[in-house]
Amino acid sequence: MSALRVENLFVNRAGLPVVRNASLIVDEGTITVLLGANGAGKTTLLEGIAGAVASSGGVIRLGDIYVEKLGPSRRAKAGLSLIEQGRAVFVDLTVEENLEVARHDEASTDEVFKIFPELVQRRHVKSGLLSGGEQQMLLIGRSLLARPKVLLIDEMSLGLAPLIVQRLMKLVAELSRQGLSVLLVEQFASLALAVGHRAYVLRHGHIAYDGTCKELRDDPQKLHHLYFGE
Amino acid sequence: MFTSTVAGLAAGGAYALIGVCLVFTYRLVSVVNFTGAAIGATGTFAMVMLREQGFSLPFSILAGLACGTVIAALLGAVMMKWFASAPAQTKAAVTVALLVGMIALGLRITGGQHPRPFPDLVPGSAFTLAGVVITRAALVTISLAFIFTIAATRFLNRTRMGLQLRALSERPVSAELIGIPVRKLSIGVWATAGIATTLALMIIAPQRAPNFLTFSMLVVPAFAAALIGGFRSFWLTLAGGIALGLLEGMAAGLSGLAQFRSAVPFLIILAVLLWSQRRARWDEQR
Amino acid sequence: MSSANLKSTLVTILIACVATAIINFTLTSYWVFLFTGAVVAAIALLGVGLVASRAGMISLCQMSFAAIGAWVVAWLNVKHAPGSLLLWVLLGGLAAVPFGIAIGLPALRLRGINLAIVTLGFAAAFDVILLSYTFPGQTKFIFVKRPDLFSSDQAYFALCVAVFVILAIALNLLSQTPLGASWLALRHSERGTAAHGVSIPQSKLSAFALSAFIAGLSGGLLAGQLGTLVAESFTLMVSMVYFVVTTMAGAHLAEGAIFGGMLIIFFPEVLRRLNLPQDIGNVFFALGATQALSMGGTMAEDLRGLFRKIFKGKEIVASGFTEDAALVAVVPPAVKANAKAMLDIKNLTVRYGSVVALNDVSFAVPEGSVVGLIGPNGAGKSTLIDGVTGFLATYDGTVLLDGQKLDGLLAHLRARAGIRRTWQQTRIAPQLSVGDYLTLAASRRLKAEESEELLLWMGCPGPQTAISQIDAGTRRLLDVAGVIAARPKIVLLDEPAAGLSHQESTQLAARIAQIPARFGTSVLMVEHDMDLVRMVCNTIFVLDFGKIIASGPTQKVLDDPRVIKAYIGDPEGLAT
Repeated sequence: MSALRVENLFVNRAGLPVVRNASLIVDEGTITVLLGANGAGKTTLLEGIAGAVASSGGVIRLGDIYVEKLGPSRRAKAGLSLIEQGRAVFVDLTVEENLEVARHDEASTDEVFKIFPELVQRRHVKSGLLSGGEQQMLLIGRSLLARPKVLLIDEMSLGLAPLIVQRLMKLVAELSRQGLSVLLVEQFASLALAVGHRAYVLRHGHIAYDGTCKELRDDPQKLHHLYFGE
Repeated sequence: MFTSTVAGLAAGGAYALIGVCLVFTYRLVSVVNFTGAAIGATGTFAMVMLREQGFSLPFSILAGLACGTVIAALLGAVMMKWFASAPAQTKAAVTVALLVGMIALGLRITGGQHPRPFPDLVPGSAFTLAGVVITRAALVTISLAFIFTIAATRFLNRTRMGLQLRALSERPVSAELIGIPVRKLSIGVWATAGIATTLALMIIAPQRAPNFLTFSMLVVPAFAAALIGGFRSFWLTLAGGIALGLLEGMAAGLSGLAQFRSAVPFLIILAVLLWSQRRARWDEQR
Repeated sequence: MSSANLKSTLVTILIACVATAIINFTLTSYWVFLFTGAVVAAIALLGVGLVASRAGMISLCQMSFAAIGAWVVAWLNVKHAPGSLLLWVLLGGLAAVPFGIAIGLPALRLRGINLAIVTLGFAAAFDVILLSYTFPGQTKFIFVKRPDLFSSDQAYFALCVAVFVILAIALNLLSQTPLGASWLALRHSERGTAAHGVSIPQSKLSAFALSAFIAGLSGGLLAGQLGTLVAESFTLMVSMVYFVVTTMAGAHLAEGAIFGGMLIIFFPEVLRRLNLPQDIGNVFFALGATQALSMGGTMAEDLRGLFRKIFKGKEIVASGFTEDAALVAVVPPAVKANAKAMLDIKNLTVRYGSVVALNDVSFAVPEGSVVGLIGPNGAGKSTLIDGVTGFLATYDGTVLLDGQKLDGLLAHLRARAGIRRTWQQTRIAPQLSVGDYLTLAASRRLKAEESEELLLWMGCPGPQTAISQIDAGTRRLLDVAGVIAARPKIVLLDEPAAGLSHQESTQLAARIAQIPARFGTSVLMVEHDMDLVRMVCNTIFVLDFGKIIASGPTQKVLDDPRVIKAYIGDPEGLAT
């Protein structure tokens, strides 16, 4: 059963068709990896799914609800959660406030502190003062507290130290084993392919590859071409 | 001289309160609201006209407050519906247009620029300080300004909704993405500012030449106060508003300067801008 | 004057003459008087339109400026000053200018909102002062004397029309100069405009001062029309109504100003005849302006769009990209080893708080080369362009352009020194025409053949085309054409192919590769599309975490394991 199904999606940005006729599926409890060079349209595709940017055509199905006509906050309530690129924490809010603001009624901020113990002592620190890694942890925690069904993650590893990236990747893999469905956009393909199941590669706004992560793992040359051209 | 300066206290309190409301609206929904005082004027005149129709004073006050709140919420709804993602400049232009419409309608309904009698909600003097009488109205407006400033600060820092509003003001798109009901909250911000402004105007109404236009133009000194607070700090805005009132009172007491007292807000605006922009180069937003 | 300008000028004059004749010879004096009022209002609206609709700033004290003009005329009249009304009106206009500058100076730098607040404050203060001072001769009913030639209402109407026509034509010509084009452009993007070598404060201040002058003229003409003046004609409320009408009608265009002037005068007249309260007109204006703001267009602009649609056919001009594959990029030959450095970056370091965005970056772009700068997201590429072109507040290190030190220079001065840039997202103001955009970008008016050759080569539509009619992809071509038109020493292209399809970016590549040979301009290009990089760059530098990690001939660098690692992650991880 697919948790998220996107069919023939078009998304424009500043009048330019950045995502052209993209279709993809995220199966329940799996990690789907979306790869592609910079500027291929990955972020725009995620934002189109989450509703931050309006789509200009196509269908987005979350479970059995069609969400493409809903506003972003309604989509969030329906179970979509986007972890934006560039550490979109609310910098003027403390760590605890950042968590509290998105918390689902049944969730507790303690859950996040259990996953990321290092955030405990930063609890009352303004999140603008956190390190990049801590901010990314905070964002992931914030998303989880909203109790999402599908997690959309945009460039989680951007500018982070490799050790932290590995730890976060492991966490994402663990979350998916617990039943969360994940659509992972990642520039560092090797890491994402190591944890993912299904893979898509975006080039110039359209899906240029649709297959398994294993296939790309086994054939590095193929991936190299998709990034650096022929 | 001292007497006339202190006479500016009541006005200062009102400037402060309206100024704090302007900062409140700007910080949370990023609209520089030119209709700030006109909203209060609407509620105040609703109160007066109901009173003239023979309704009881408490009822008239409540209905007037409700009227100011509803008008503010309506304006908020218009801004959210059509201008949510518009640049700050466009939003400000919209409020200017709406202000013109409100003044035209307001003057028409309230019978033009002829002043009309207003009930003194808080008559009499509170106490005498060094031979100078401090009116109750002055005391009440300044207390209100303080209460609103404290309440706004606490609300934003201590409640979940306040938290959501702060998140919304910082990153509107991110806020929507985590499920914050941006529209409802924004309209709530407008309504809150509306009720506070209405209350302030009701209290100082008897001391002004009360017609709809002069009331609406109280937004000018309120802007001066908000600029002193950098459109960011509630407390500086509060202090700025009160200081402005005192300064105006002082100018009114000096012979030869009295007729220029209304230029005080303009001079303050000019001075604050000169100071605050000495290093700026261009509009960072664009 | 170009033939198109000559034609539109003659048409404007002809229409004005015919309209004046019809009104003067068929209508009663009462109606002529009203029409005179409408034209005087239209002149004031031209001034508001210049600031509000053209430069996109909010000015709420235009009638205070008009009052200054009127006051000066009344004063000169009372003093029996030499010259006649015509001279006095001119002096009145000039008298308003220093006020405009004094008010504009502190407000024009930062947010546009400040101008709205400061002008509102000025108008409110001015109202009270005007009430207590009154106009010279007002209390004694001394009428402003008209010259004999213009003593009849009909002749005075003709005079006002003439002033309006002269102003409208002058503003139209001015709008085709770099200064005039910068007004429309800065409304859209201030940084984008500064990148063309425009000083933003100067541009804004000139618009504001000119609008004060025009407002002063209209006040003086009103003094001549009415003879005696009252403060009520110039209140803050009237200023706000003029702003609102401008916003609705689009008074930066002559027809918008005339239409607005007629609305201001005749709408209340119509209401009066219908026995309706006249001030309700303002409510309609307010609603109309709100509607115009929500649609993002004005009546005059919509009308021109409609006109274009009816007489010129389809709205969107075909794209500048062609189907044929004749355009093939040829990588320019490698530059000689001893070529001088056109751009020399030494030890560039940029910090945002505790984050180091660029860490001791040094490299050079040799004269006549196309150099690529690549790197994963967040590596600091755009920060580098911002720093080099003067769009960062501070940085450490040195930037040399052709041996000349640029550090400490503001962005527009660097642009004038010969370093131009494009932006990741196009910042061309949609209200401009292609030709006016080139004028702005080149800081001069190009000769017809020069601009046509450039546009043809780049695949852009002709200079008369409105930018709003061009599709987004072709605007990216125009971005590049614009920076080239300035004939700078070097251009910095920030992701010129972002959002283009593969085929489109291939065609763009072919043109970029020719830039050094054709225009003598060196190129530094930030790009993610590796095919494009491979097609046009002979040398590339790779930026990662704010540091240069590799450099050299393109293909060699792209095969470098360190570069692959920076992009894809550790290649070791791929096998496991």
